Amino acid sequence: MKARKRQRGKSANPGGDSYVFRLFVAGNESNSSQARGNLARICEKHIKGRYKIDAVDVLKDAAAAHKNNVLVTPTLILVRPLPRVMLLGNLNDTRRVLAALRLIGDKG
Amino acid sequence: MATAKQISEGGVAASTRKGKAWKGLSKVPTGIAGLDLVLGGGLPAGRVTLIHGGAGSGKTIMSLQCLLHGAGAGKPGILLMFEERAAAVRQNAWSRGWDLARLEKKNKLYLMDARLDPEAVISGDFSIKGILAVLDDRIKALRAKLIVIDAVDALLHLYDNPMRERHELYALHEWLLDRGLTAIMTVKTVSQQESPSRYAFLDFMADCVIHVDQRVTAQIATRRLRVIKYRGSGYGRNEYPFIIDENGINIIPITSNVLQHRPPGPKVSSGQAGLDEVLAGGYKCGTSILIAGTAGAGKTTLACVFTRAACLRGERILYLNFEESAESLVSNMLSPGLALQPLIKTGTLVVRSYLPEAMGVEEHLFHALKDLEGLRPQHVVVDAISACKRMGSEQAAFEYLMRLLNACKERGITCIYINQTSGLDIAQEISGIGISSIIDTIILLRQLPIGGAITRQLIVMKSRGSKHSEQFHEFRITDRGIDLGKA
Repeated sequence: MKARKRQRGKSANPGGDSYVFRLFVAGNESNSSQARGNLARICEKHIKGRYKIDAVDVLKDAAAAHKNNVLVTPTLILVRPLPRVMLLGNLNDTRRVLAALRLIGDKG
Repeated sequence: MATAKQISEGGVAASTRKGKAWKGLSKVPTGIAGLDLVLGGGLPAGRVTLIHGGAGSGKTIMSLQCLLHGAGAGKPGILLMFEERAAAVRQNAWSRGWDLARLEKKNKLYLMDARLDPEAVISGDFSIKGILAVLDDRIKALRAKLIVIDAVDALLHLYDNPMRERHELYALHEWLLDRGLTAIMTVKTVSQQESPSRYAFLDFMADCVIHVDQRVTAQIATRRLRVIKYRGSGYGRNEYPFIIDENGINIIPITSNVLQHRPPGPKVSSGQAGLDEVLAGGYKCGTSILIAGTAGAGKTTLACVFTRAACLRGERILYLNFEESAESLVSNMLSPGLALQPLIKTGTLVVRSYLPEAMGVEEHLFHALKDLEGLRPQHVVVDAISACKRMGSEQAAFEYLMRLLNACKERGITCIYINQTSGLDIAQEISGIGISSIIDTIILLRQLPIGGAITRQLIVMKSRGSKHSEQFHEFRITDRGIDLGKA
């Protein structure tokens, strides 16, 4: 799909990505940009090299948003590891995001 | 039936006076006949209508009916649901005979399940752009003209911040207007409150606001609807009762502000030669007749004498029975030799038995009016108006009888009301629920103990526009009907 951009942790893990995210954004609106930045920062700090982020722009790929039951932007879905988690908002509340993604207590 | 002009005052009446419709504001019919009358044609095209009301007040059904009507009229629509499952809505609609799946297949309708994952975690601010993007996609695919956003409050609930709620709603409003969609938003209100205080700003935002509710008085529920505002258009400003039956919403606009009663027709025989003489020829068609008397005085028999005679002449009778079943009436009338069963078989006599307390006035009235339209009877018998109090209250009974009478008079249908009096103070009671002033003919039956036996007497107390005997007449109930002797 054209609209999807793949962003990979810098040192690719040969064993595969243990964390797979799908981030739904709406163009470059402020909340969406913030979410992108926040997610990247959190991943780099906590699961560096073990994650993959699929960014989906709902303005370009409405079908994907529909399929994933995305109503608001930004929406972050933790696809793997299961269970699936859905987060709404610009991810400004780091502690809350970490807790939701089950990353809290993960070294720092 | 009242016309749109009579129902909606002001703007619409003024605009149609010159034979011109509103310029600039076109309307989208809802397909709910009574509602379109109240709205002076329908919902404002290309604008937002808000429907609010409590749980089970009929918001979703009303919206769905608009969508179905639109789909049938070449205007595809989208139903966006924040609370209900699409599958459940399809199933509920199916039970009313509405095949949503078929319309969906034909791209006339799209049900969009937009329930949020209840376990979703909120961190920071967000906007509803996601859903708008998906909607845009669907609108293009369907060329949708109508959209219903059901339970928009559920979406707003995501925000813990009234300012953000308001901001997103205005954004949604703008978005709808930009696309020229005719939109309906439904919002839940808490119990008796008319306006959802938290979302009061919605009332200001929307161009048309309709409130629906369901009230219970004397253990009987009545649904009502009121148009609170309608920018740029006249509308009916009363509260309108409505019912929801298997066909959806039915509104009976209360009254026309003009009495459109037809003049009385010719006289027809009462079915008994002696009584015809007393009444100087019989009952006048299209008038109202009250037969009052104590229990066992012969009221039902007198009405059935007329019923049988009329049916044998080929005139159709609608017999609304609030006291006994059709079977029981038929069997009881065999004693005075009145065979009703053959008349029921041929369809000239239609007996409808209702338990007064089973429904509210509106529903009773709806059933009666449906039969007036569907069966087109020449005469209607109501047995007995005294039982109508059990529809809720004396006021409820009065409303029912008054409106039924009006409907009959507008159609030139004779109305025979039977009233049971307790016998203590007949003069006070005969009128029955205060409707005597609108009754044309009053016949009073009484029983007197004379010489160790009961003597039955009949007197005509009033007969508008006609001569009548002013004396008591003795009569007997025989096995061949009623036998009325000389005064």
